[in-house]
Parts: sequence; structure tokens; C-alpha cells
Amino acid sequence: MSLRVLRELWLFFRRDFAIARTYRAPFILEVVEALFGAATFYYVARFVDSPGLSRALPQGGSYFAFALVGFAFFDYLNVALDTFDHSLEEARDTGTLEPLLVTQTSLSAILAGSAIYPFAATTVRVAVYLGWGAALFGFPLGAANWSAVIAVLVASMLAFSGLGIFSASYLLLFKRGNPAKWLVLGVSSVVSGMLFPVNILPGWLQFLAWLSPVTYALDAMREALLAGTRFGQLLRPLGALLLFAAVLLPVSILAFGWALRRTKTTGTLTHR
Amino acid sequence: MTEPAIAVESLEKLFPAAHSGWRAFLQPFAAPTAVALAGVSLAVSEGEALALVGANGAGKSTLLRILATLLLPTRGHARVAGYDSARNSREVLRLLGYHAGSDLGFYARLTGRENLRFFGQLNHLAVMEIDRRIERLAGPLGLADALDRQARLLSTGTVQRLSLARALLHGPRVLLLDEPTRSLDALAAADFRRYLRREVVQRCATTLLFASHTLAEVEQLADRVAILDAGTLVALDTPTALRTKAGAATLEEALFHLTGRRYAQMEASGEES
Repeated sequence: MSLRVLRELWLFFRRDFAIARTYRAPFILEVVEALFGAATFYYVARFVDSPGLSRALPQGGSYFAFALVGFAFFDYLNVALDTFDHSLEEARDTGTLEPLLVTQTSLSAILAGSAIYPFAATTVRVAVYLGWGAALFGFPLGAANWSAVIAVLVASMLAFSGLGIFSASYLLLFKRGNPAKWLVLGVSSVVSGMLFPVNILPGWLQFLAWLSPVTYALDAMREALLAGTRFGQLLRPLGALLLFAAVLLPVSILAFGWALRRTKTTGTLTHR
Repeated sequence: MTEPAIAVESLEKLFPAAHSGWRAFLQPFAAPTAVALAGVSLAVSEGEALALVGANGAGKSTLLRILATLLLPTRGHARVAGYDSARNSREVLRLLGYHAGSDLGFYARLTGRENLRFFGQLNHLAVMEIDRRIERLAGPLGLADALDRQARLLSTGTVQRLSLARALLHGPRVLLLDEPTRSLDALAAADFRRYLRREVVQRCATTLLFASHTLAEVEQLADRVAILDAGTLVALDTPTALRTKAGAATLEEALFHLTGRRYAQMEASGEES
């Protein structure tokens, strides 16, 4: 990646940060909301936890830690599927889409740049969740392997972004949200091990689970965060996530480029 | 022979008819049938100012948007300094400044200066250079008080001046302006026209292609005028020559005469068939 592209990505981050800074209340509300979220999982876990349940969890430990990681990191999929759509809709509604497209910055940089701040904000939100969990409810952060956590995060964001760009291509063409986005979210929330281990699912759903990048992401994140698994032992889920990214990202960018050309042909680029 | 700054050759643009109900879902794949440009050809030399005039729906904005790479032509070519706007969009965008005539297009929660810096940097200008240019443009465009206020607090006219500043900021070789003074008050519009003529076109030899409904503005700015009617180029000449050709005292009269005569011919040919 060239220095110029990095600079362009930074510009988008700075733009979104500057805009977010003008709204202070939502940040404070999110910190409070994270406290309620962490507390909910803590009390649900107290209600359902048992030595048998802990033994059934892939990484061992408490159900609270398992569920909190699942819930908090599932948010990355939400953001990936939402952020490209949202940026596009906002650019269309504020009339900034055309001015952006007539700059010398490439379409891929505009797309990637628009996703950086939402992903960074999600990372802060997840950190606040885990922070509340650790400070008040005994969430175990001591064993975490942070370099592996970062590697899983980056690979997950890349893999999920492909799905998000597909969704934005649909929005660009059809002007309304993509029904496939809700299907991906719905199916992933059931099969990807967000709140319960994948191995309790029937065989055909387990098969579906391993076709979703979210399953690999949550599995690897729990390994790195809760079990402190070393980088070398995470090569399989990391490799799977990078494979998803290697296929989904270029294909989705091509799809977005095609959708953009189509709207330039039909003259519907700025239509709602 | 040097390439003209803008060359439009047999340019045609058709849009699909608008659908409603369930057929709207197929809109992206509908066949184009509504004619916006019907084989327009024209060339603009470097440093020349050419005005596009004509009624609403004549094809002025469509032509500008094709040159700005925001629309793809159905047939024909639109070139900027020899680069095809459909095939070499990156090269074209390096040379272009574009103002869409809209009073939208800025981030409401950022100040005027922050907005200009953001777009300037996307055109690969350094912040210091952008700041220098902003200061240079602020006077003639009357932006001094607007630069440090959030865009949401600016009047429609000021947002439009900000948009003109954005189009000029990176010193483009070719400037495309769609109704550049539409929301400006009379004094601001006069100031801007003077600046555009003296500094941008005459001093920097920037090529200017603009669409306008204000014929006094056209007379003041344009070396030549292209009259479009229903997607067809009806006439292309200097304002004086157009007046002479139409036997008219004013450009307005000439415009009416040139397009009106064409309507009469169309009506006559319709009656014959």
C-alpha cells in the first residue's frame, strides 16, 4: 500500500473523527450502555453457569466471558455490513457523493477510508465492554495474547468488509437496503457461536457455520483473548479469515465498480 | 496539431424511462430510451470560455456531467485534453474542477475551511498550500467570514461560493461550472464573474465550460456560446455572431429566435408526416 493511499485513508478517519467530536453525548451514552450490556451478560451467566457448562465451552472458563466476547465482537460484522451502506447513503443525502467522485482519490480508497472510523469506534466500544467486564464482573483479561488479538481483529475486519461492500453495491443499484445483509446477520447470529458453542448445533447447521467468516473470527478471538493461544496455533482460523478476505474483497470491489458504472449509465447515481 | 482542451464528438446520452411499482426494481437494467443528448459535437480551445445555454432539459448538465466522469455516454466521445472521460477518468479528473450548481455537497458539522482542506487533500494538495489558496480565494469569493463556521450555519449562497472555491482550489486546467451564480446575490455574482474572467480564464488560461440561464452572465464571460435544444446543438458562435445570425438585438432574442425557429420547423415537419 503506497504512502499516498495511507494518507488518503487517514484523511477519511480525520474527517469522521472531526464530525464525531461535534456530537459528545452519544459517546457518553455508549459507555453507559456498555455497562448495562456487560451487567446483563454477567447476571445471565450467573443464572446458567455450572461446572458442566464451563467444561462444554471450547476454551473453558465462564459462560460470562464466552458470551461477552461473542456479543462484543459480533458487532464488527454489524459495523462491516452497515458502514459502507451508511457512508454511501449519507454521501448521497448530503450531496457529497459527486464531489468525492470527482476528486483524484480512487474509489477503493474512498470506500476503505469511509470504513476506518466506524471500525475504530467499534474497537473502542468493544474495549469499553471488556473494560466494564474486567473492572466490575471479573472478566479474565490476564491470559490474553494481545498480538494474536490484533491479528484476528485485522483479519476479521478485512473478511467482513467484503460482505459490507457487496451490500453497498446493492444499495447503489436498488437504492434500498440489501435483504441479503439481514439474512447474513440473522444466519450468523444463530450459527457462528455468538452466544453458544457451534458444536451443540445439528450437523447441517455446523456445516453452515464453517462457511461463515464470523465463526472463525469468534473462535480465534476467544482463543487469543481467553485462552492466550499463541499466534502459531491460530494459523487455521487466521488463514480461513484471510482466504475469505482474499476472495470477498476484490470481488466485492469489482461488484461495486460495476454497480457504479451502471448508475453512471442510467443516471441514477444521486437518486434515492 | 494540439488537442483542444475539450472535445465532444457525436455525443449521445439516453436515459431509461422512469418506472414505478415493482418495475422500479428493474430500473437499473432498463433499456435507455429517453434522449438527453442527440449527437452533440463541439470543441473548446485552451483558455477559452464557452457557455452552454438552453431551456431546462436541453442537455447542458448532462454534457457537463459526462465530461466530469459522473455519467457514461451512450454513444460518442467526450474528451478532456485528449483523455476520454469514460475510459481515462483518472487522467480527466486530474485536470478538472467541477461545480454541480447544487447548494449541498459539504459536511454540515465541519467548518468551511475543514471542508475545503478535506477535498483539497483528496486532490493531493498539501495542507499549507491549501491554506494559502483558501486565503487567496476567500477575498474574491467573499468567504472570509464563512471559513471558520460550520457548513450547516452558512446561507445557501455562501455554500455555493464554497463549492466554487472547492472547484478552483487545485488550480484545474479545465473548469466545468453548472449555473455558477444561481444562488448568489447580484453583487457577489458580479464579483465572482469578474474574478473568473480576469484571474481564472485570462491570467491562468483555464478553459471554462459553463451552463447558465443568466444571459448577461453569458455575454460577460463567454467567448462563444453553444445553444442546446432538446439534446441537439442548435448554434455555436460568439455572442455577436449569434445576434447577427438571428438578426436580433440581444442574446435573449437570438436564443428565442434560434430555438423558436427550430420548434416551428419541427411542428411543420410533424404536420407533414
